[in-house]
Amino acid sequence: MRPRLSFDVPTRRDLRVFAGYFLAAAVYISIGVAWIDFLFSFWVGLAYLLVVAWAVPMLVRRLA
Amino acid sequence: MSWAAHDLEPYAIQKHVGLKLAFVPLLIGSYSPDMMTKWFVYGIHLGPWDLKASDPAKFHRGWPGFGFTHSFIYGIAIALIFWKVFGSKLWAVSFLVGQFAHAITDTGDTVGTMLLFPWTFHFHLGAWAYAGQTGRTTDAAAYFSGLGSMWDLVFVVYGFWSWRVLTSDYFDNLIYRADAFWPWLNRWVPRGALIVLYRAAFFYGTSRWIAWTIWAHVIHHYPYDLSWGGPHWVHAAHP
Repeated sequence: MRPRLSFDVPTRRDLRVFAGYFLAAAVYISIGVAWIDFLFSFWVGLAYLLVVAWAVPMLVRRLA
Repeated sequence: MSWAAHDLEPYAIQKHVGLKLAFVPLLIGSYSPDMMTKWFVYGIHLGPWDLKASDPAKFHRGWPGFGFTHSFIYGIAIALIFWKVFGSKLWAVSFLVGQFAHAITDTGDTVGTMLLFPWTFHFHLGAWAYAGQTGRTTDAAAYFSGLGSMWDLVFVVYGFWSWRVLTSDYFDNLIYRADAFWPWLNRWVPRGALIVLYRAAFFYGTSRWIAWTIWAHVIHHYPYDLSWGGPHWVHAAHP
C-alpha cells in the first residue's frame, strides 16, 4: 500500500476566520516592513493581534 | 539562532501530542533559552549607557556565559521546579519538550549549543551563520538570507498544512481541556480572546518571517546565500 498525503478541506467558516487573520497579518507585515522595531517584540505582536482579531470585531458586533 | 522556529515549533509538536502536553508551558519552554539574554546579545541604549555583551556569541551560547540555558540540564532543572515545587507534572514535561526543541534547533547554526552542559562542547551543524554579534538588523538580514530562514519556512508550511491545530474546535476540545490554566484564565478573559492568545505565536512567527524576508530582499536587496554555513557575506561566529 502506498502512503498518501491527506489534507482536510476547510469549511466556509474556517476560511472566513483565516481571511480575518490574513488581513491582520497583511497590516502587521506592512507596519513591520516600514518600521522594523514593530517586529522585535512578541508582546507587541500579541497586543496587536488581541486588538485586531478580538477587541475590534467584538466592538463592531456590539455596535451593529 | 532561529528567528521564527521557536514560535512555530510548539504548534508542530502540538499536532502530534493532542492532550498529552499543555500548550502554554510548551511555548514558554520554546522561548525560555533566549528569554533573558537576547537584549544583551544585541545591546541596548539606556540614556548615556550602551549595554552589550563584549562577546555576544559566548555570552549567549558559551561558558562562562548563559549558554547553559540551551542545555538539556537547564530544561530538566526548570521542569523539576514545575513538578516538585508547583506540583504540575504536565507543565514540567511540556516545558521540557519545548526547551529541548529550542536547544536542538539552535545546533543548526555555526555556534551551536552546549547540549550536554556542564560538558562545554558545542554541538553544531553549521548550516547557517550565527551573526548575533553584528547587531539585530544585520543578524536579521543574514538569517533571512540563509538556510536558517528555510528551516523556519518548513514550520510555516507545516503549520498551514496542519491548520486544524489552529481552529477554535481544536482549541476547545484539546488545548483548553488539556490544561487547567485555560479554565483559570477564562474566569477573567473571554473565550474569544483565549483563542487569539493561543494563535498568537503562530501569527507572530509567520508574519515576522514574511516581513523580514520582504525587508531583507525587497527593500534592502541583501543577497540570498543558501549554501551550507551561509550567508558568507556576513562574519559568522564560531564556538
